Amino acid sequence: MNAVAVRRAADVLLRGVGGRAVMLRMPAPASVGDVTEQLGLAVPQFQDVELAPVVLERGSATVRTMLVSANAVNELVGSMGYSASSVLFADAFGVLVDGVLMEVESVAETELGGAAAVYRVGLREPVALQV
Amino acid sequence: MQNARDTFYVTLRDRLAAVNPARTIVVRSVARPGLLVEENELASANAPADVFRLRWTGLRVDAKGALPLMVMDCEIRYATDGNAGNGGMDRGRLLAAMDAELVAAVNAGLQNVVKMSYAALPAVAMGTNVWWGDVAFAAATVNGERLERLATVEVFCFQEAGAL
Repeated sequence: MNAVAVRRAADVLLRGVGGRAVMLRMPAPASVGDVTEQLGLAVPQFQDVELAPVVLERGSATVRTMLVSANAVNELVGSMGYSASSVLFADAFGVLVDGVLMEVESVAETELGGAAAVYRVGLREPVALQV
Repeated sequence: MQNARDTFYVTLRDRLAAVNPARTIVVRSVARPGLLVEENELASANAPADVFRLRWTGLRVDAKGALPLMVMDCEIRYATDGNAGNGGMDRGRLLAAMDAELVAAVNAGLQNVVKMSYAALPAVAMGTNVWWGDVAFAAATVNGERLERLATVEVFCFQEAGAL
């Protein structure tokens, strides 16, 4: 099975089990030589980009796991000029799910036939929502 | 107090950059000297290696004098995995190099500077100084293939009336 077929199959599976869309919140690049950002005086601009299809699972009370299609991730990596998916997720400020911003804690990829098919992203709910 | 923290960070950043200009970190696509204040950055579960991460923890106030004396505890955390090309076998040497850079930046030379206010740029000099003690190192800890160290510095300043 080639890489394209694997990714399409993953997309179909995620959509078939109720895949939905979330927003990935990305900060704008920092300003070169701007000390105010280093001192916490200036806040970067943010851009929300759609990530779909994804499926969310609840792990523990505060942790969620998001399964996301490799096609969707690769599109963002290409269009936003990142070198790899790991850099994209490391730079992301968080994932916006129904208005709640969750921090990206971990990222792992599932490979099938030598190609990444699905990314498994660990998300942590904000402290304010923890009971 | 915030002005003193900002002044200490900028001083330490510039000194570390002078000691080893090659130690840098890329933050949101921009390279800068390898020192960051955790509370000034976007919250992240990622702890970058081979750079210094500064954290303000304890705070004590001595109000006996004409101006309140503030004593702030500054934690500086750093870690290294070694070079992948060397199989990480040089991680002890790289941690020792970071220890030496920190000693050179904190202990060598003057241990005081004029307090600056960065609320507006260009920064404005204030009427008192910021000064600090020698750096104290905790034992190195092993976290998997990563060697980590916590160093602490006591930073002092006078709280000027109406200042941050």
